[in-house]
Formats: sequence, C-alpha cells, structure tokens
Amino acid sequence: MRHSIRSMVGSGLAGAAILAAGLAGGVAHAQDKAPIKAATLLDFTRVYTFLTDEYSQGQQDYIKLLNMEGGIDGHPVELIVRDQGSQPQQGIALYNQARQEGAIFFDFLSTPVANAVMPRANEDHLPMMTFAHGRADAIDGQRFPFVFPSAAIYRSQAALLLQYMDEHGGLKDKKIAFVHIDSPFGREPLALLEAMAKTKGFTLKAFPYAVPGTEQSAAWTDVRRFRPDNVIIWGAGPGQAVSIRGAISNGISPKSIYSVIWLSETDMRSFQGDAVVGVKRFTAVNTGADSAILKRISEKVIDAGKGTGDAKVVGSTYYNIGVASMAIMAQAAKQALDTQGAPLTGDKLKAGFEMIKDFDAEGLMPPLTITDKDHQGGGWGRVSEWDGDKWVPLNDWGHAYQDVVWQLVRDDAEKAAKEAKK
Amino acid sequence: MFYRLSGVHHTRYASARQLWPLPADRWQVAAVFVLAVAAPLYMSDLYLSSYMLPWLVWSTATLALTLLMGVAGQLHFGFGAVMAIGAYTSIHLTQAGVPFELALLVAGLLAALIGCLFGAAALRVKGLYLVMATLAMQFLVDWVIVNVKAISGGAVATLQAPAVEFLWIPVDTLVARYYVALLWAVIVTLLMLNIKRTSFGRALVAVRDKDFAAAVIGVNIFKYKLLAFFTSSFLGGVTGAILAFCFYRAVTPQQFSFDISIQLVAMVLVGGLGSTIGAFLGAGFVLLAPIVLLNIVAPMVEAGWLPVSASLMAHIPLMIYGAMIIGFLLFEPLGLAKIYDNARKYFLVWPFRHTQS
Repeated sequence: MRHSIRSMVGSGLAGAAILAAGLAGGVAHAQDKAPIKAATLLDFTRVYTFLTDEYSQGQQDYIKLLNMEGGIDGHPVELIVRDQGSQPQQGIALYNQARQEGAIFFDFLSTPVANAVMPRANEDHLPMMTFAHGRADAIDGQRFPFVFPSAAIYRSQAALLLQYMDEHGGLKDKKIAFVHIDSPFGREPLALLEAMAKTKGFTLKAFPYAVPGTEQSAAWTDVRRFRPDNVIIWGAGPGQAVSIRGAISNGISPKSIYSVIWLSETDMRSFQGDAVVGVKRFTAVNTGADSAILKRISEKVIDAGKGTGDAKVVGSTYYNIGVASMAIMAQAAKQALDTQGAPLTGDKLKAGFEMIKDFDAEGLMPPLTITDKDHQGGGWGRVSEWDGDKWVPLNDWGHAYQDVVWQLVRDDAEKAAKEAKK
Repeated sequence: MFYRLSGVHHTRYASARQLWPLPADRWQVAAVFVLAVAAPLYMSDLYLSSYMLPWLVWSTATLALTLLMGVAGQLHFGFGAVMAIGAYTSIHLTQAGVPFELALLVAGLLAALIGCLFGAAALRVKGLYLVMATLAMQFLVDWVIVNVKAISGGAVATLQAPAVEFLWIPVDTLVARYYVALLWAVIVTLLMLNIKRTSFGRALVAVRDKDFAAAVIGVNIFKYKLLAFFTSSFLGGVTGAILAFCFYRAVTPQQFSFDISIQLVAMVLVGGLGSTIGAFLGAGFVLLAPIVLLNIVAPMVEAGWLPVSASLMAHIPLMIYGAMIIGFLLFEPLGLAKIYDNARKYFLVWPFRHTQS
C-alpha cells in the first residue's frame, strides 16, 4: 500500500460530498409566482430514443410559448425534464423525487415505466398522461382515475385503419396480414383485429418478428406466401423502416401498407425516390407547422432564437404530438384553476382533465372530450398518406368501432375483478 | 489505532473463528445495522422508497448471484429470469389465497427448480458457453411469461401485488415493506458470510478453482454444481418476490428483462466477485450512480451553467458513469470490495505502513 492517507481520505470525502450533492439535487428552486410544476420523465437514452428528442422539444417549446403568453391564468408552468432510461426503478425514483418537488402532472412516454408508476399515481392522486401508448384498459376512468391516455389507444388506431379499408375497397373476404413486433405493444391490437375479423368477414393472420425489429426477413417471406390484400405494420423506431423495406421487397404495393402512429418523416425519408409513396399511417395530431399554435411557436419561440433544439424538427410528427400533449395538460390546468382556484392539486387537475370538451388545440388535433368514464377522449384520429415529402391527411377526423374497443375494456375489467376476488 | 489489535487475545477456538474477530469490525457492523434498522426514523419517504429500499433488494439479488458467480464460479447471465419466476409465482399464489410466507418459499423453490434445469448445462459446459446457456434461459423464460396468458395475465397486463401479511403484520406501509426487505437482506447476508466457512462453501470454491482437481480430491462436482444453482436460484427467486411485493408492488415482464440480468452481472463485477460487502457496494454503485449523477448534472443545466439540450443532459450522467466504471476497473480490477479491503488493511496498522498485502 503506497497510497498516502491524505489522498485516500481526500478522495473519500470528495466522493461523499458528490454523493450528498447528488442526493440533495432534487430540492425545489424558489420561484416568484406559484408555478405549476409538470414532470416529463422521458426515455432519452435507451428504447424510445427515436421519438423522445423531438417529442420533448415540442413539449418544451410549447411551454415556452405558454409562459410568454402569460402562463395559465398567470401561473407559469415549470417543466421538470429527466431521463428514466425506460428503467422502472429509475422511473419510480424520479417520480418520487418530482413529487417531492411539487410536480402535479406526469408524463413518461415509456410503457414499462408508466405501468410501474400507475398504481402509485392512483394512490398519490396525481394525474399522469400516457399519450397514445400504455395499457389499453387505462382508458377506463373508473378503474384508473388518474391515468389519461388522452388520445386514441392502439386498439382504436387499428379500428380506424380497418374502417378506412372497409370504406375503400371493403373488408369482406379480404386477406389482411398483421406484421407486428413480438412485444406486449405489438400484440395489443390483436384482440380487436380478431373480433373485427369475425364480424367483418376478413381473414386475419399475424406475423410476429422478434424484438428489437431490425431483422424481419423470416416474417416477410411468410407474408409473401400469404398473399395479403392489405398489410398492417405495428412496430416502432428503426423496425418500422425495416418493415416497409421487407414489404416492398416482397412485392407488396406501398399503397396497401398501413401503419400504427409511430412512423415518422425520418423513417420515410430513408427511402429513395417514390418507392414508398402511398404508405398510410394512423394520425392523432396534425403534422406540419401551419396550425395556429405551431405558427405562434415559430414566430415567438423559434424565430426569437429561443427554440429548444433544431428548428427543422418543428412541425414533424413527434414534435407536434409533444405540443399536443402539453396543450391538453394546459387546458386541463386552466379549467381546474377557473373552476376550483389556486393552488392547483392533483385532484383538481384530474377534475380539470375530465372537463375537457371539444378541445382541438386551435386546430392541431381532433376535438377531444374527456369524461370521468372515458379517459381516451373518443378515440379520434385520421388516416394520412406519405406523398414523398410529407404526410397528407386522406379523410376527416373520425373514430371507429368504439363499441368493440370498449367491450374489450369491459372484458378486461371483468377479468381483473374476478382475479381480485380470488 | 483504529483497529486496535493489542489486547485482543482469543483463548477459545470459537472466539477466534467468529465472523468478525476484531472488536472494531464488530462495532462497524453493529453501527451499520443500527443505521439500517433506524432508517425510517431519519430518512424521508423519498430516500427510503427510492434509494434505500431498492438498494437493499438489489443488494440481496447481487448476493444471490455472487454466490453462484463468485463463490462457485458458474457464470449466469439470466438471473433476471430467475427473479421473474419468483415474482410471478408469489403473486399468483398470494392471489389464490396462499399465505405470503409460504408463497415466498414456493417462489424460491420453483425458481430453484427451473434454475437447476438450466444450470444442468453447467455440468457439460463452462465459461462463455455457460453464458450462452443461461442467456437462453433468460429469453425462454421471458417468452413463456409474455406469451402464456395464465402467467402474465395478457399481453400488456400488469399484475398487482395483493395486500399481504408477513408474520401477522400487514405489509401495507412503506416502513413495513422496508423491514421485510431488510429482514431478507440480513438473512441472506448472514448466509453468505457463513457459507464460505462451511464444507459446502469450500466445495464450491474448489469447483470454481478447478473442477476436475476438485473431483480428484473427492468433491462430487455433479452434486455441487447443481447445488450451487439450486441455492442461488432459490435466493434469487425469493428476492424476486420481495422485489415485486416490497418495491414494485406489481409485476410486468419488462421488470425482469435481459437488461436487468446484465445489470446484476455488472453489480457483481463492480462490487467484486464473491464478496459480501462488494455486493452491497456494487449494487449501490450500479443502481444509484446514474440517478445521483443526473441529480448533479440537471440542476447545473437548469441554472444555466451547462448550455446543453435535454437529450445531451440525459446522456452526460451515463458518460460519466461509464467513465467511472472503466476508472474503477483500471484502478482496482477486483472491484469495490477490494478498494474497501485495501483501505481497511491500511487503517489496520496505521500509522505504520507495513501491511501484509
């Protein structure tokens, strides 16, 4: 042992000091005017990286705009942005920390973390948003009073795609291939598709591929043998471009490819020329920078040089979803403040969410109506088509087969009740 | 001076062979134990629930794995699956009305049984090949849990842990959950400290050092390899159940994914193979370092000292964390436990410089 005691004690003390600073790091910063704290604890580093940057950029830019325009009834909104790496234990730690700092609204955008926090949020009476992701039965406001998907869940998305196919060429006696990532997320719409296959009389076949989805050739050879009329692809991130490449190289026309919400401009621009023109995708929030909110963001935030990140991203699919998520939160907070006054609490914010009626974020999204029963808000969306440069909406906002979606939710609830009784 | 050796005379074998023959060590252990037991009194809910409790549970899991990897020398890259088996078994059993204590035991036994099944590969293969066999276990178990609805409760289901009692005390508050985890951690720690002093532990060490040499001196390697997998998987299964009931209070397949297995291996390696204190230090480092670093970096960014985007801010702690792991491994390849050991040996004879190793 040649280390001197001084260096040893010194490094020990330094370590302890860093540790103490780190553990105390979460202490709240004093603000001037009772800010509303919202925590967006996202996954910047592990699984959801393909969308988190753009999504968070949209959220932060919108909050900047909101605060410039006077906040919510004078209350500024303070965002707590942290990385949970899609790890439940880290998500729970950050959730507890943000709760201590006074956050009353949570957004995780990571299914594992959201699922792990759900029972806690219900217990602590703190609303959390699972925008277009997370478990399907969370749209049932009676069972999950503090969880707000606030957009069409995956089953509603699949329903809308089916309805579009039904209106354009019909579904009867057609063959539909459902090519999905073999994870809970990928299997989620299966229950609905199977139910619809029975009532609408089409043949459904599921072709799973393994996580993370970068290798799908086996699935697509099978799809080729099946000779489907339409293909629904259900994946996220890099796997989506692989799916489209697999479909096209197996002779499937891009016009008969339908996708879940997670298919971005970046995914599509990886293809040369017109190869993928005609691919269709479910859309929950308008893309492009021409809606009123986006124009104001461009003007007051981006052009003023206060943007959070790359200006090219503004108006892209995931950016706009980020804007919409915060706009919904702000609307809920505003209604809660108007009816119940400051200071805002989790319970008041929940009531504010359930007062949202026909809210379309100035034309950015379909009219959203959340009630104490329906936390999905109607299951609205539309189908968009890739024209080689951008997503072009093909039909008007609508929703499809909500009776089937809710029947499945009721089945889940019954099953859960039976299990709880056991 | 700190570890006063003069005047410590062992006049009986029992006192010479006790776990901590030096009074100074005993004092330290007692102090740590008192601190752990009194934690709910001086720690806020935040610290107790998001740092202390998970640290205890992960340390216990690391202890279970280090018994297999460090003491018995059998590599295991599917320990998350072992814990998953324990967690799912215990939740299903308690939902069916089985008492929690019994559910924990059965969870451990089932994990041990399935762990042994895959551990049987260790009878034929070693090293990297064994890593592959245990990896297969991770993916098979994951697949079965996700795809068999009777186990996972459906594709995206989360199974809630029902309200349970442990020894007639309801485990419904944070403090109660903490004490259950602490109790299990203490049991496993004592087991680990003692196992190396038994014939079983020595047989495992012999198998680790050279299995056919162990066979030559009369150790039944067939039996001891399987026993190593059995014991370790049993502890892992119960720890998985404790994790589900005391920390997550629910189970989903993602909580026990491949990432978790790798993290556990990292905890064992960073802490120091086969070391008991290393398991605690390693788990603490791997689990808490990223969060602690994030808490240092985030306020700096928010105060405007570091002009970076949210995405880069999220990556900085990981970069530092990675650099720290490399640094530790360069500075002391035998892990944090060895660093502790060096410090202890230094203070053992302080202010003199003559140490044995």
